[in-house]
Amino acid sequence: MSGSTIETLRRMANQIARNFEIMGHVDAVEATADHINMFWDPRMKKQIFGDGGQDLSPIAKAAIEELAQGEIPAHQTRATEFNAVDDIGQSDAG
Amino acid sequence: MGYERQKDFGTPRVKSEKHVTLTIDGRAVTVPEGTTVMRAASEIGSSIPKLCATDNLKQFGSCRLCLVEIEGARGTPASCTTPAAEGMVVKTQTPRLDKLRKGVMELYISDHPLDCLTCSANNDCELQDQAAAVGLRDVRYGYEGANHLAEPTDHSNPYFDFDPSKCIVCSRCVRACDEVQGTFALTIDGRGFGSEVSAGQTLDNFMSSECVSCGACVQACPTATLQEKSVKKIGKPERAVVTTCAYCGVGCTFRAEMRGEQLVRMVPYKDGKANRGHSCVKGRFAWGYANHQDRITRPMVRDNIDQPWREVSWEEALSFSANKLNQIKRDHGARALGGITSSRCTNEETFLVQKLIRGGFGSNNVDTCARVCHSPTGYGLKTTFGTSAGTQDFDSVEDSDVILVIGANPTDGHPVFGSRMKQRLRQGAKLIVIDPRRIDLVKSPHIKAAHHLPLQPGTNVALLTAMAHVIVSEGLADEEFIRTRCDWDEYQDWARFVSQDKNSPEVLEGVTRVPAQSVREAARLYATGGNGAIYYGLGVTEHSQGSSTVMAIANLAMVTGNIGRKGVGVNPLRGQNNVQGACDMGSFPHELPGYRHISDADTRALFEKDWGVTLDPDPGFRINNMLDAAVDGEFRAIYIQGEDILQSDPNTQHVAAGLEAMELVIVHDLFLNETANYAHVFLPGSTFLEKNGTFTNAERRIQPVRKVMEPANGMEDWEVTQALANALGLGWSYTHPSEILDEIARLTPSFAGVSWDRLEREDSLQWPVNEEFPDGAPVMHVDGFVRGKGKFVVTDYVPTDEKTGPRFPLLLTTGRILSQYNVGAQTRRTANVEWHPEDLLEMHPSDAENRGLNDGDWTTLKSRTGETTLRVKVTDRVAPGVVYTTFHHPATQANVVTTDFSDWATNCPEYKVTAVQVMPSNGPSDWQEEYTDLSQKSRRIAGEMEPAE
Amino acid sequence: MSKEQRLSEIIAEHQSREGPLMPILHDVQAEFGCVDADSERIIAAGLNLSRAEVHGVVSFYHDFHGEPDARPVVQICRAEACKSRGVEALIADAEAAAGTRVKLATVYCLGLCSVGPNARIGDDLHARLDSDRLKKLIETV
Ligand code: SF4
Ligand code: SF4
Ligand code: SF4
Ligand code: FES
Ligand code: FES
Repeated sequence: MSGSTIETLRRMANQIARNFEIMGHVDAVEATADHINMFWDPRMKKQIFGDGGQDLSPIAKAAIEELAQGEIPAHQTRATEFNAVDDIGQSDAG
Repeated sequence: MGYERQKDFGTPRVKSEKHVTLTIDGRAVTVPEGTTVMRAASEIGSSIPKLCATDNLKQFGSCRLCLVEIEGARGTPASCTTPAAEGMVVKTQTPRLDKLRKGVMELYISDHPLDCLTCSANNDCELQDQAAAVGLRDVRYGYEGANHLAEPTDHSNPYFDFDPSKCIVCSRCVRACDEVQGTFALTIDGRGFGSEVSAGQTLDNFMSSECVSCGACVQACPTATLQEKSVKKIGKPERAVVTTCAYCGVGCTFRAEMRGEQLVRMVPYKDGKANRGHSCVKGRFAWGYANHQDRITRPMVRDNIDQPWREVSWEEALSFSANKLNQIKRDHGARALGGITSSRCTNEETFLVQKLIRGGFGSNNVDTCARVCHSPTGYGLKTTFGTSAGTQDFDSVEDSDVILVIGANPTDGHPVFGSRMKQRLRQGAKLIVIDPRRIDLVKSPHIKAAHHLPLQPGTNVALLTAMAHVIVSEGLADEEFIRTRCDWDEYQDWARFVSQDKNSPEVLEGVTRVPAQSVREAARLYATGGNGAIYYGLGVTEHSQGSSTVMAIANLAMVTGNIGRKGVGVNPLRGQNNVQGACDMGSFPHELPGYRHISDADTRALFEKDWGVTLDPDPGFRINNMLDAAVDGEFRAIYIQGEDILQSDPNTQHVAAGLEAMELVIVHDLFLNETANYAHVFLPGSTFLEKNGTFTNAERRIQPVRKVMEPANGMEDWEVTQALANALGLGWSYTHPSEILDEIARLTPSFAGVSWDRLEREDSLQWPVNEEFPDGAPVMHVDGFVRGKGKFVVTDYVPTDEKTGPRFPLLLTTGRILSQYNVGAQTRRTANVEWHPEDLLEMHPSDAENRGLNDGDWTTLKSRTGETTLRVKVTDRVAPGVVYTTFHHPATQANVVTTDFSDWATNCPEYKVTAVQVMPSNGPSDWQEEYTDLSQKSRRIAGEMEPAE
Repeated sequence: MSKEQRLSEIIAEHQSREGPLMPILHDVQAEFGCVDADSERIIAAGLNLSRAEVHGVVSFYHDFHGEPDARPVVQICRAEACKSRGVEALIADAEAAAGTRVKLATVYCLGLCSVGPNARIGDDLHARLDSDRLKKLIETV
């Protein structure tokens, strides 16, 4: 069931989108794009950009399209804001 | 340093604003009101003889040895039970007192074997010391009368003996077990002369009793009645080194007591800020793995994993690794290389591993096992509070009125903190437990949860939202707190969301299966019961909605104003000893130490300048993506320090496939672990006893780890990483971890004020330590959240994709057990296995009956991903439809059945929910057999005898 | 009703009062003639105490026994009326006759006050005892 890499990526993108859905379509697209932009390795991004939006939910699809066009979304949650070079403020210790 | 016991003040420290001054033996002394005369005397160094008193137990007043004379008072009161009063004049040494004490002492000694010279506690025995202190030379009573000298010794506990012939029935052990540990395993059996200490009931010994082997009684015993076996075997310690336990996130401080180069015992350190002199069976006793025969101390290599290992020199192992790394980098680029840091290693070691990967390998493919446990804490708390570390120190629990425990089992997972929590509960704090399983806290001696909400695994978000619904709709929100500390508009959005009917406990009962009425009552209690503190663990994070659950928890704390002071807060109970530290040190692929994103040019510039390298500006792979990419041929070499990803990560076959596809797997560990079956290079590691450095515990407390013996493998782990870096031509030249710590402080703002010297002086520091908080920060968010306002986040309940159905009708959830630690590599190599020889599958009686299973039967546990076999334990601790197991033993391979579903935000694996079927079976599964074969084959070392078939 | 069920009943009866342990132990001792290890266990679980704690209390008081006494019992009344009719003078001989084979239990009033000293064995009452008769009773029980 682990499936191929691209299946995993689609599942990840859909899952992110699904959890942001409650924000409403427009915000959810931005949040999904921002999240993927900040946390995914470039190869993962490239692979899903080249996948033609197959099996993606509308939110995930729109987010991937936005990123594929080279748009850099603004930060939508504090999880994608990080400390500046001289900042102590945040930690995302897991 | 010579050997001395830690000073014992006789009775506990008293906290009081008011002070009193009294005169003891002509010297004035001022102490907090309520302090006993005994402790006051001790403070000025005049020690009053005592036997039944010790400073971590409440005064008892039974031995009558501590008598003193007080001017104006009649008789000779016991100093351990007499509070100091203003103007009191005390004499501790008079001829009358001498005579009385001598008489008391004679009575004790008359029933005590006089074999001091051959006793293993000789010169380390309070009875002997006190006898000398009262000037007792010979005993008048002789041995004619009845005595207890023929009582047999109880050897049943693997770590300590109980020799009742030496017992003076002072009850210190019984009280330690009650007051400190909270297990109540001991009692005084009988009365008068016939009374003796007994573990459990008449036919019990220590092992069969309720004892959890924490060692508190052994430490409390003033004689050799309760004594570590290792003292008998090795001899009395000669020196002591203070260091930090390497097992769990509590971070207990210990005195490692040494004789020559041998560790005699680990004794909890009374000044340890996390443990306050207490310990659990792991830190106290389970250190034998350090010289277990399985430990590998010489480097080994092989060209492929079918071959036996070849022992080689360090030079050869390092150049073998460096050549391959260089070649892969040349052929496939830096992004084909990566590594895993360890939450068990020190901050300094972790820092160096990520430095090697980012600066040396040239990629950001670095991840850590925190991914598989607490990454959702990072995401969730950062989103809501602005920073993710736990908000409290452990002491805070002493001020809590309502304690909500969700998805954590502190008495097993974080035992010393569990004991402290139980102390508070016995004082009357109320407890709410949210857990599919009836953990010990729900009901155990003197502890009873006010509410246990046994929810369906995977429905945390629904349950917490239902609680929020009650708080908001019944008008229990703390509006003043919300208005000043949080974003009001966001609160309103959130409040509207949770107030919807679909989020009421009544509607969500269908999802969570928790009766609505108990949800309502629990919510009201948390909102209105005084200081409310939430403690949570992996039962929150290891879900597909782990991050959302953390945010839901934060919402609950904010809506009730339970943030920013003692006794409240949101507290992740972290698994491994240095999870916090590993995260602080930049172990995640997207960020540098101090939680600064890799895409931030200023941050990169700072590190590039200091390290003299160029950094990749893009995030690297997470563990699971590394494995995927390996199968695709894009990721080819990995350096794994101190982690066993094959056993600890979900979906074992997937991990195996990824590792197998790699060209170079370097495992740096103490043992040939399961991952090493797929390795080409094995670099032997060192234990925490063999190195210097620091760990950061779950309360952000940075504590020193001190070397007490030379590394068996010849190098501390940071030296091994440095040697590998230098084989790659990086030219590092650290000579001591303090230099690495200086570099960390230089590059990481929250560590700015931390240095080895300071830690030597102050024992520990809670970060941030900088200009604003020069001495660190015990409680976070005191006057406001670290960053702006607290944010309420709407947490929509999204059911996991992992669903039960006709083929897989049961939900499996996993956990851990007191005596074992994580994948068990260390604890399995100690006598701790006596408490947990195998992983068992817990199942409700009705489910067992349906399947014709009896307690102890072998079963096959099967999920979509695989199957394994283990034995069943029939118990109503779990609800019908739910089964539970641990994953401490490789033979069980519990992760063969877990799926690779994961948290939506962080990919923390969903260990806590797997749909399974359970059937009767009569032997190990195919995978288990295949795997056993493979691991035997791949553990062969050339030149060693092949194991007989 | 199983022993376990009966124990739960006894526990339930006293659970809500202050200091429920002693009354429970007395009832259990009365009903089963002892508070054995299993009972200690069940009582401990019922009251949220440890096994050791319950055992500590059971072993402290002479009233409670860990196992039933298999010896035959002769109950001798030593209440006021029997005392005034001379029971105390019989005790030393009775004890000698009982040795360790027979258990002598003291009771207070068997309801035959006018014809004492009295004793009871099982359901049989024996009145107007003197030293010899009591000795015989004890020896043949
Ligand atoms: S080792 Fe700990 S749990 Fe066991 S009897 Fe001693 S104090 Fe109690
Ligand atoms: S075992 Fe030790 S601590 Fe316990 S009563 Fe005996 S002498 Fe005291
Ligand atoms: S509680 Fe944790 S840190 Fe403390 S001794 Fe036990 S394992 Fe070690
Ligand atoms: S030390 Fe005070 S009575 Fe024992
Ligand atoms: S007093 Fe002995 S029978 Fe009444």
